[in-house]
Amino acid sequence: MDAARKGIVVLPFEVLKRALLQPEASSLLMFFVLFGITAILQENFFEAKSIVRTINSFAPLILLAMGQAIVIISGGIDLSSGAALSLLTCVLTTVMKKDDPITGVYALILAFLVALGTGVVNGLGIGYLRIPPVIVTFATSYAWLGIALFLRPTPGGESVPWFRVFYNMRVVEGVPEVLKSLGNYVPPALLLIVGACVLWYIVSRTRTGRYIYAVGSNIESAYVSGINTGKTQMLACVLNAVLIFLAALFFVGQNQTGDARMGGPLTLRSIAAVVVGGIALSGGRGSVYLAIVGALILGFVGRIIFFANVPNAYQTLVSGIIVIAAIAGPAYATLRRELR
Amino acid sequence: MVILEARGIRKHFGGVVALSDGNLRCRQGRITGLLGANGSGKSTMSKIIAGVYRPDGGEIWYKGRPVHYRNPSEAKRDGIALVFQNLSLVPDLTVWQNVVLGMEKSRGIFLDNQEAKQIARDILSKLLPGLDITRKVYELSPGEMQIVEIAKAIAERPQLLILDEPTAALEHAQVKSLFAYMRALAQSGVAIVFTSHRLWEVMEICNDVTIFRNGATVAYIDFDQEEKDPETIISHITGETVRSSPAERTFGEKPASREVLLRAHIRSKVKSLRDVSLELARGEILGIGGLAGQGQNELLYALAGSFPGVQCEVEIEGRKIVLRRPQDAIQNGILLVPGDRQKEGLFLEHSVYSNMVFPKFGLSRHPVIIPEKKYRGECEDIVRLLSIKVSSLDAPVSTLSGGNQQKVVVGKWLSFDVKVFLLADPAKGVDIGAKRDLYEYIRRLARERGIGVILYASDHEELAQYADRVLVMYEGGIVAALTGEDISEETITATSVRAR
Repeated sequence: MDAARKGIVVLPFEVLKRALLQPEASSLLMFFVLFGITAILQENFFEAKSIVRTINSFAPLILLAMGQAIVIISGGIDLSSGAALSLLTCVLTTVMKKDDPITGVYALILAFLVALGTGVVNGLGIGYLRIPPVIVTFATSYAWLGIALFLRPTPGGESVPWFRVFYNMRVVEGVPEVLKSLGNYVPPALLLIVGACVLWYIVSRTRTGRYIYAVGSNIESAYVSGINTGKTQMLACVLNAVLIFLAALFFVGQNQTGDARMGGPLTLRSIAAVVVGGIALSGGRGSVYLAIVGALILGFVGRIIFFANVPNAYQTLVSGIIVIAAIAGPAYATLRRELR
Repeated sequence: MVILEARGIRKHFGGVVALSDGNLRCRQGRITGLLGANGSGKSTMSKIIAGVYRPDGGEIWYKGRPVHYRNPSEAKRDGIALVFQNLSLVPDLTVWQNVVLGMEKSRGIFLDNQEAKQIARDILSKLLPGLDITRKVYELSPGEMQIVEIAKAIAERPQLLILDEPTAALEHAQVKSLFAYMRALAQSGVAIVFTSHRLWEVMEICNDVTIFRNGATVAYIDFDQEEKDPETIISHITGETVRSSPAERTFGEKPASREVLLRAHIRSKVKSLRDVSLELARGEILGIGGLAGQGQNELLYALAGSFPGVQCEVEIEGRKIVLRRPQDAIQNGILLVPGDRQKEGLFLEHSVYSNMVFPKFGLSRHPVIIPEKKYRGECEDIVRLLSIKVSSLDAPVSTLSGGNQQKVVVGKWLSFDVKVFLLADPAKGVDIGAKRDLYEYIRRLARERGIGVILYASDHEELAQYADRVLVMYEGGIVAALTGEDISEETITATSVRAR
């Protein structure tokens, strides 16, 4: 009787404790807390315009974080993703001529091929030459930066007007009314993110998706099970490159310029987003979708600092502390699980 | 019908001959047992057949044609599956995902998960009823992992299934259901090779046995024609009847006194070690024998205070202490020389000098500034004493030979007030000359300074030569104690395999 009652009392507590020790759960909890705080601090948070603005400002990091998550789950890491993003914006704005709409199509095709190229080079180094991913992608980040600076030493370049469809459909001429009114509620940035999710949804239900987890979890076991580990890591890098390409489309649509140095800071932020999302840096563990949550958490931190009127001098310090707290939760949960 | 025949297989690793004349014949629908003591070459043989190693010589005929596999995938394609000991499972995938890993089927563009789950459920419902196939592998116990590993090999529908010590991690009931499944597989025409160190298992399940000793096949017994006689098998494993010159036992002088130096009571909560009590006299060399992996390393770690989950109460020179951390043991003069010197005993890239002084830093009364000159002098003494061949004290340990590396591991404790030395297979991978030096030195140390030595050696010949008393371990417990005239390589090995 006594034990039974005790069992009832203890059980929900134990369940809750165990649930909170899942890295995923602590990320989601963090997300809701920060979401709530932001919603309280920012008065017009739930207005349509404000929501669109929020999505737009978070979109590049979300896309990069998803790509980063795929590479990290496969057992790698990409220190070149920001540089690759910059490179793609430079390629796009160099090929495009303002007055010639068809150049937009050429730019799209060429930039996509360049994106695939960056993924293949990283994949060759990580998957086939078996060089540590940190080294490979650190080296390639300088290559991408170098090419980007060669194309566009200073920010600038041209963009065809219709490229704004990737940012805001209303301002582009010739877009059907239906799409324009859809664009009022569903910004293109959201469509790009949904597209990325659909892409990963499909991949995750194929062999490639399963093998990405297997290779990241234990590459030796995967190899003796007959999995082509080199190819798997290569495909992870290429998928990452495709997501970076989507981020580049959004950036050029928004700014109409290319910038060789804009992506740099995003690299480490994307890795931070992955960690905050509860994905293990050791690979094989976590969900790509949680990288979105991680990116949102980092985004909300910036918001909160801004709306809470934190004095300028302390903004970086305060946001740093919040990020440490956000990383500590999932990291602690992962550690607990690994020690068990 | 003979499905596989291997003849005259040879294989060496570096200078060590693992197989000199390996022969094996497998028939469809029959279970063949591979038997042999530690290092007799039976594992090497299974791995060569499955394509993990390439043989140096000899020929393998599979289904009537000669084969030369370069990797496990090629052998797998031909229907030869080797069950690795937890080598091929991916911890973050679920049980059913692991069972079909590498051979997933698709329906349209997506994976056919329903069929995959069905395959996993079919096999596992017989091998381990009640196992939730949606659990992640890292959540499973070692025994459950082993069974999933077996299920994975079976899911490939092999024609020749090689099980390399599959029962080591299993409980009795699990072994029973594995055997039932093996019999069903054999009935459907699969040839099975089964290795185990438990003799009774082999007697129960196998149709015939092939026995290895010192890298060569020494006997083949078909149970259909000959009776199952464990004594015959044991004599083949130990080679009692054919051995011409037994290893000479070098007693040296007997330990002077029978004064008890150490009394230990170990209460274990882990599976790999049972509750164990032992006594050690001053100046005595106590040997720990048995087949590999029967808890010998665990026992030594427990005595060194570095095995969590085990409570070790020790009475040393009449003082009672409880060992909780390695420091507790070190400060009381109980020092461990770990078995894997490269991983646990040495900082390979550091110099001989720093390797020797590191342990001193753990002393409670260590001067703040390191007395460099004094330590260097001590190190030079030890190097001279043990005749360690080294160009200078500052040479990285990785440049030394295996034997000299081992001397450094032993030597670094010599300037301490040693009371008990725990040696975990100290001569593994050490050449014969250095091995003798090392053991002679250890014995001198024991006799002259009255140090107690607990020596675990996987090579029973070493125990027979140097130990005053031998405890034989089996499945985490001590099953026999041998003294005086009873100590010989043959009796130790025979006691090890006869245990049940």
